[in-house]
Amino acid sequence: MRTALKTLLLTTLTLCSAKSVMAQQCVVDDRQRTVCMDKPAQRIATLSPGATELAFAAGAGSKVVAVVSYSDYPPQAKQITSVGSHTRIDMERLVSLQPDLVLAWRTGNPPEQIDLLEKMGQTVFIIEPHEFDEIATAVKRIGTLAGTEVVADDVADTFLAGIEQLRERYQNAPKVRTFYQVWDEPLMSMSGKHYISKVVALCGGVNVFADSSRMIPRLNVESVLLQNPEAIIAGGMGEENSSWLQAWRAFPEMRATAQGNLFFVPPSLIQRPTPRVLEGARILCDKLDIARARR
Amino acid sequence: MLAASVSRSLPSSKRFSLSVLVCASIVIMLFALTQGSASLSIREVWLALTGEGTPLATTLVMELRLPRILAAYATGGLLAVAGALMQILLRNPLAEPYVLGISGGASVAALVSILLGISGVLLSGAAFLGAMVSTVLVFGISQAGRTSSSLRLLLTGVVIAAGWGALITLILALAPPHKLPGMLYWLMGDLSYAGSPILPWCMLIAVCVVIVPLGRSLNVLARGALQAASLGVDVKRLERLVFVLASLLTAVAVTTAGSVGFVGLVVPHLLRMVLGNDQRVTLPACALAGGCLLTLADTLARVVIAPEQLPVGVITALLGVPTFLLLLRKGRL
Amino acid sequence: MTQLVLDRMVVDIPQQGAMSPLTMSLSSGQLWGVLGPNGVGKTTLLHTLAGILAPRSGRIELDATPLAKLARPMLAQCIGVMFQDHQDGFPATVYETVLLGRHPHLGVWQKESDQDHAIVLNALKSLDLLALQNRLITELSGGERQRVALAMLKAQQPKVWLVDEPTNHLDLNHQVRAMEILAEQSLQGDCVVASLHDVNLAARWCTHVLLLYPDRPPLWGESASLLTTDHLEPLYRQPLAVTELEGRSVFVPRST
Repeated sequence: MRTALKTLLLTTLTLCSAKSVMAQQCVVDDRQRTVCMDKPAQRIATLSPGATELAFAAGAGSKVVAVVSYSDYPPQAKQITSVGSHTRIDMERLVSLQPDLVLAWRTGNPPEQIDLLEKMGQTVFIIEPHEFDEIATAVKRIGTLAGTEVVADDVADTFLAGIEQLRERYQNAPKVRTFYQVWDEPLMSMSGKHYISKVVALCGGVNVFADSSRMIPRLNVESVLLQNPEAIIAGGMGEENSSWLQAWRAFPEMRATAQGNLFFVPPSLIQRPTPRVLEGARILCDKLDIARARR
Repeated sequence: MLAASVSRSLPSSKRFSLSVLVCASIVIMLFALTQGSASLSIREVWLALTGEGTPLATTLVMELRLPRILAAYATGGLLAVAGALMQILLRNPLAEPYVLGISGGASVAALVSILLGISGVLLSGAAFLGAMVSTVLVFGISQAGRTSSSLRLLLTGVVIAAGWGALITLILALAPPHKLPGMLYWLMGDLSYAGSPILPWCMLIAVCVVIVPLGRSLNVLARGALQAASLGVDVKRLERLVFVLASLLTAVAVTTAGSVGFVGLVVPHLLRMVLGNDQRVTLPACALAGGCLLTLADTLARVVIAPEQLPVGVITALLGVPTFLLLLRKGRL
Repeated sequence: MTQLVLDRMVVDIPQQGAMSPLTMSLSSGQLWGVLGPNGVGKTTLLHTLAGILAPRSGRIELDATPLAKLARPMLAQCIGVMFQDHQDGFPATVYETVLLGRHPHLGVWQKESDQDHAIVLNALKSLDLLALQNRLITELSGGERQRVALAMLKAQQPKVWLVDEPTNHLDLNHQVRAMEILAEQSLQGDCVVASLHDVNLAARWCTHVLLLYPDRPPLWGESASLLTTDHLEPLYRQPLAVTELEGRSVFVPRST
C-alpha cells in the first residue's frame, strides 16, 4: 500500500516538475513494482550471493554494507558484514546497518521477512532474472538506483554484446543434444524456461529436458539414459573438476560417454544469473564445439 | 487440626508460585528485549520503549524485538497449555502436540493452503482443521481397541507424525520454487517469520479464562473417564471441549511459528513435579512457564551464532528429547 | 429414605447373551453383597446402577426418577462408585485425591470450603490415612490405594454406595475395617452395594445378597436365606463345607 502510494505520489511529482525528475530515480523490479530512490543509494544490502555480484557488477560494490552467507564473489564481498543466511535473515543486524536499498531475491528470501522490511519503510528491489536481457537490465536498474549508471550501462552492454556474439557464432551450428546436470543427489536438471537452458541453446545445444513442467525437475538415471544426450555438462560442489561426471562412465552405451563428451563448467560461472554467465557461456560453447568435433 | 492448616495452606503457596512465574515472565521478556545481534544498552532499550529512543533503536526494539518476543511468549504458552490439555485428554503424561503428530497435521493443512494460494485467517482455519483431523486419528485409533494403553497411543502418534512428515516432504518436493522459502519453516518451528502476535495473545488470554472454571473437572477427568463420570462430570462433553481447545491452541501456535516441538511436554512435566497436578494451578502456570521457556529459547536462537539465525525448534528439541527419554525411563509409560 | 428400583432391568454385557432381567429394589439401610464367579458381570452391573452404562433394557429409578433423566452432577451427589482399577497416570497426593470426592457438591466457580476440607479430613481419619495424606498415590501399596479410594467415596457422601471389590488388596485387618465402614454407612441410612469375592465377608456383614449365576437366573434376598451350600455350590461350581462359628456360617471349599 505504502509503496503504491509512494509510486503514485512520485508519478504525480514527475509529471508536475521537470526538476524532480532529475532528483528521483524510479525503476521497475522483477515483481513488476516501481521502486524509487530520492537520491542515489549509499548503503545497499544484498540478500543473495547473486544480488551481491550484480551490485558489484553495477559499480555499486563500494556501497554494499550487508551481504548474506556464501557471498564470495568478487573476493572483496567476503569482507562485508554478513546478515545470516538468505533463508533466515538476521533482521536486527540488517536494520542496524541502516541500508537505504535492499536487493532481495524473489524465490530465495522468505516473503515474510521481505514484507516486514517493506512494512518498516525499507526500499526493497526484488530481482529474479530469467533471461540474458533481464540480467543486463538488472545491472542497469541497480546502477540507476545507485547512481552508477555509467559503469552499469557499460557492463550491461558489454555483456549483451558478448552474448550476441555467441548467438551469431552458434546459431547455425549443428545442434548438440545436451544434458545439463544441476545437482547429482537427487539428480536435477532444468526446464527450457530456466536461463541456464538458454545458455545451452545459445551455444547451439538442445536441452534434453527443456519440456519439463517443473523449473528444476528431479530425474532418475533412467530418464537421462533414455534421452541419450550427446553431451553432459555438470556443475558440481566446488570449482574443481566434477566427480559427478565419473558416475556417467558406468554407461558406455550412452552417446555422451561413448564419445567422451562429459564436461565440467564451474558452477559459479553459470548458476548465478550475473554478467559472469557470459564467461560460463563461452566455456560451455567451447565444450559443445569439442563435442561437435568428435562426431 | 494442624494437618488441616498444612493442607489448606497449599493453595496459597501455589498462588505464590503463579506470582513468581508472572514476575519471571516480565523479567525474561525484558531480558530478551536487551538481547540481539545489534547491541543496545538497557538504557537505549528503555528509551525506545518509552518512545524517546533514536529512530534506529526504536525500530529495532518496537518493530523487530518486541513483536517477536511477544509472539514467542504467546506461542510457548499456547503449546504448553495444549500439551497439558492433551495429556489430560489422553490420560498420559507423554502426550504432546508435536510427538503425537497434531502439529504435523496442522502443518500439512497449512502447506496445502499455501500451495492453493490461501493466506490469513483461512490459513489458520485450515491449520486448525488439520490439527483436529490429526487428534481424531490419534485419539480414535489409540482408543479403538478395548485396551487403550500408553504404548498404543504413542505408537499411533508416532506413525501419524511420520505420515504427516512424508506428506510435508511430498508437498515440498512438488511445490514451485518461489513458494519454498515460505513453506520450509513449517517443518522445524521458527519464529524468524512470525507475523503479528495479536492472534496468539488473544487465544492465550481466552484459554486462560476458559480453563479456570474447567480446572476441577479436568482434575477429575485426569483420573479416568469412569471415575470422572461417577463424580458427575459429563465426560463426553468435557472431552470434546478439551479436544477442540487443544487443537485450536496447537493450530494457532503452528500458524505463528511452525511446528515447535516438546514445549508441550517439558513444561507441564516440570510444573507437575513442582506444583502437583491441580489443573486450576498447573494450566495457568503452563501458560506462563511455556511463554518463558520459548522466549528464552528464541532469544538463544537469535543470538547464539548470530548473524546466522537458528530455528527455535532446534533449541526446544535439544531440551525436549532428553526430558522425554527421562520420562520414559522413569517408567511413566 | 433412598431407594434404587430395578424394573426388568437387563445389564448390557458386550458380546454376551442377555442376562436374566432383575426386578428388585435396593433401599437405605441395606448392605448388599453381589456374589458370583469371575466374568459374570458384577462390575458391569455396578456401573449400570451408577448410571455410567445404560442397561440393555428395562429401567432403573432413584427415588422414582429414572436414572437417565437425572443430571450428572445431581446423580453423583446421590450415587457414588468405587472402582476396581485406578488410573494414576499423574502424580497427586492422597489429600488431593480424596478432595476430588467433593467435586459433585461444588459449583463451577466454587472453591472447596472449610467444610469440604473437614469432610475430607474426617474421611481420611476413618480410613487410617491421616499420616499418608501428603504422600503421592503412585507411591502407595495396593491396599493403601484401595483405602484412598474408599476415603474418596466417603468424602463424596452419596446415599447409594456402589463398591467394586472393596476388600481387594487389603490385609485382614483392613478388610474388616473396610467392611465395618460399609456397614456403618448402611446403618447410618445409606444403601450400600458391594461386589465381593469372599463369601464369608458377605455372610458376616451383608444384610442382603444378589447371586449372579453364569447359567441360571439370579437370586436375591436376605443373606440368611440365600447363603447356603445349596445356593453357593452351583454359584462357584465348587463343593463347600459349612460350619458354625460364633453363631455365623463359615464356608470352606471342599476338595473334590
